Amino acid sequence: MSSGTGTHVSFRERTETPFEGEVDYVVVGSGAGGAAAASVLVRAGASVALIEAGAWREPEQYPSSAYGGMRDLMDDWGAQIAMGRALWPIVQARTMGGTTVINSAICVRTPADVFDRWEKEFGIGRTGGKGRLADRVWKHQDDLERELSVEEVPPDARGRSNVLAMKGAAAIGYDSHYMKRYVKGCVGSGQCLQGCRKLKKQSTNVVWVPEVLERGGLVLSSAPVSKVLFEGRRAIGVEGRFDHPRTHRAGSVFRVKAKKAVIVAASVTHSAVLLQKSGVKSKSLGRFFRAHPGTGVFGCYDEPVDQNTGATQGWASTAFRNEPGLKLETLHIPLELVASRFAGGGMELMDRLSRYRHIAMWCHSVRAESVGTVRAGFLGKPMVRYGLDAADMLKFREGMYLLAKTHVAAGAKSVLPGISGLPFEMKADEIERIRTGPTDPRAYIAILSHLFGGAVMGASPDTSVTDGSGRVHGYEGLVVADASVIPSVLGVNPQHTIMALARCFAEDLLAS
Amino acid sequence: MLWLVRSAMVAFYPRTEALPGIADTGIDPFLRQFRSETTFMMWLGVVLAALLFHFTPLFTVFVPLPAFFLPASLRDKHARKIGNTNLYLVKQAMLILKLPAGLCWGRDPEVRKRFAMAAYAPDPDVWRTS
Ligand SMILES: Cc1cc2nc3c(=O)[nH]c(=O)nc-3n(C[C@H](O)[C@H](O)[C@H](O)COP(=O)(O)OP(=O)(O)OC[C@H]3O[C@@H](n4cnc5c(N)ncnc54)[C@H](O)[C@@H]3O)c2cc1C
Ligand code: SF4
Repeated sequence: MSSGTGTHVSFRERTETPFEGEVDYVVVGSGAGGAAAASVLVRAGASVALIEAGAWREPEQYPSSAYGGMRDLMDDWGAQIAMGRALWPIVQARTMGGTTVINSAICVRTPADVFDRWEKEFGIGRTGGKGRLADRVWKHQDDLERELSVEEVPPDARGRSNVLAMKGAAAIGYDSHYMKRYVKGCVGSGQCLQGCRKLKKQSTNVVWVPEVLERGGLVLSSAPVSKVLFEGRRAIGVEGRFDHPRTHRAGSVFRVKAKKAVIVAASVTHSAVLLQKSGVKSKSLGRFFRAHPGTGVFGCYDEPVDQNTGATQGWASTAFRNEPGLKLETLHIPLELVASRFAGGGMELMDRLSRYRHIAMWCHSVRAESVGTVRAGFLGKPMVRYGLDAADMLKFREGMYLLAKTHVAAGAKSVLPGISGLPFEMKADEIERIRTGPTDPRAYIAILSHLFGGAVMGASPDTSVTDGSGRVHGYEGLVVADASVIPSVLGVNPQHTIMALARCFAEDLLAS
Repeated sequence: MLWLVRSAMVAFYPRTEALPGIADTGIDPFLRQFRSETTFMMWLGVVLAALLFHFTPLFTVFVPLPAFFLPASLRDKHARKIGNTNLYLVKQAMLILKLPAGLCWGRDPEVRKRFAMAAYAPDPDVWRTS
């Protein structure tokens, strides 16, 4: 169907004729990286096909419940697991807009030390003959902040949990702030994880995908690419089969040729696997998977907190980014998910749940240095092997203590740390025990939501998959433009960096 | 298998004076919907977890009967004990069971009302086709 001057093609039945197209650039994946790259290419007048595995849902079509969120927006129901000593879920989206639809839209500029490290360890400093990468990324971040209307969470949308966290941090004396997010006029509905039905969050499906259409692009939804096509070592297009958004039955084949380049931005778990399945040879493909693992601590307050009201993640502190190496944030989790986060069963579990209105969940994400792999596993699905080493586990545990301490400073009467081997509930004078708690990752219920690597950039083809412009070493017309290229953890929320990098890569493509 | 999963979930989320239990929140249609919509692996995990729940009372309440044969008070004690276990794989299995149960229970309008939350609008389950 045509919209503006472009065309959107959604699921087509198996019996229909294969869909064929030809454009200058094919972009695989419409999340933070893919949509950012596509927007630069269409603005330069190139013809672009943006191909997304998930369905395209407008904000009024988003689900309301957590069940609907897992079914309609998450990749594999959010049940993908990182296999290590502990089994921790990996959360990513599979929908038009990618993970920007279900994230909290937090916007943090890339810290300078990240670029210093990339330059020193990976030889990534100057790219595309256009100057220092750091300067280019920061310039794009300036533009993105304007374009995506970055604003601090407005006072009316803060909700009590975020305000309490601010109070706790101030009482202890460390720096913290209300979040800056890509959100225009948040009303604090606390539904960011299910997609913003209020149309306030500036996810890529509401800003850049429509722009691709308006500027004459081709958008395919419910269209997982199964293979990048090559002529020799030159990428010439992609193919796959449509996938029904509800039943997941296979539809007709699609094949889109790329006259200039294929840009893979299918996320950390999918990009490396897609390249592997397409026969790309690189020693480093699938290696150097990294993450910011995180978990939360509940504080119990006398007065209702009603964590479901206010911005889902409205407060943060980066005061501990260097020592011990983590970030603190608030996170409102829906009642449905609290139920499975609590230990216990039967009457005891119900008694614990009855306190929902009085608990606030705050979480950390750890700047972990541990490294894992991502490869094609059972039925070709991504299989991640990853676990935290002892040093990262110490940071992880210290982060839990800091969260508990902040709750207590904010007036919590007790905390619920959720650590096996420690009491379910700890009074203020007991929280020091967290510092000597277990360092076995199996004692914690954590998730991985900030992912990096799998197709990392670097100067040497022996230790990296792409160069500093995302171009896959040894291939022509093949670029990776998502979090897979990031060769280190950032210690801050990644989407601002991913988007800015993808924009640099798209500029380099146009210039080449 | 549905009844097996159902009874394990009911044991985990019983009705109390303060709150409706999962049996009051449309668990039967929920389970049919969940079985048909979720991935095979997820459903398999839920069924295996329910089996584990039902066939372990010997280790928690020291009674050699499946949980579905236990009197209500003992079944509740079994749910409490297995729900607090520190044995990693058992803990993970119970999490797999409690997660969909929580999705059913926590979206119920009556439950949400008890926590001063508005009922959810229905999940539209539609997408853009043009
Ligand atoms: C719950 C949650 C909250 C978060 N909050 C924040 C936050 O507030 N701020 C922040 O900076 N970061 C946040 N993040 C992280 C951030 O959203 C991600 O790091 C970022 O979106 C990753 O960008 P990406 O382009 O690599 O992948 P994605 O955004 O995940 O996009 C990849 C896209 O590719 C599609 N795809 C996959 N395989 C194929 C295929 N074969 N063919 C076609 N398409 C395919 C996927 O469906 C997806 O749409 C959060 C993450 C989660 C899970
Ligand atoms: S808190 Fe609500 S209104 Fe604000 S961005 Fe998130 S979903 Fe949208």
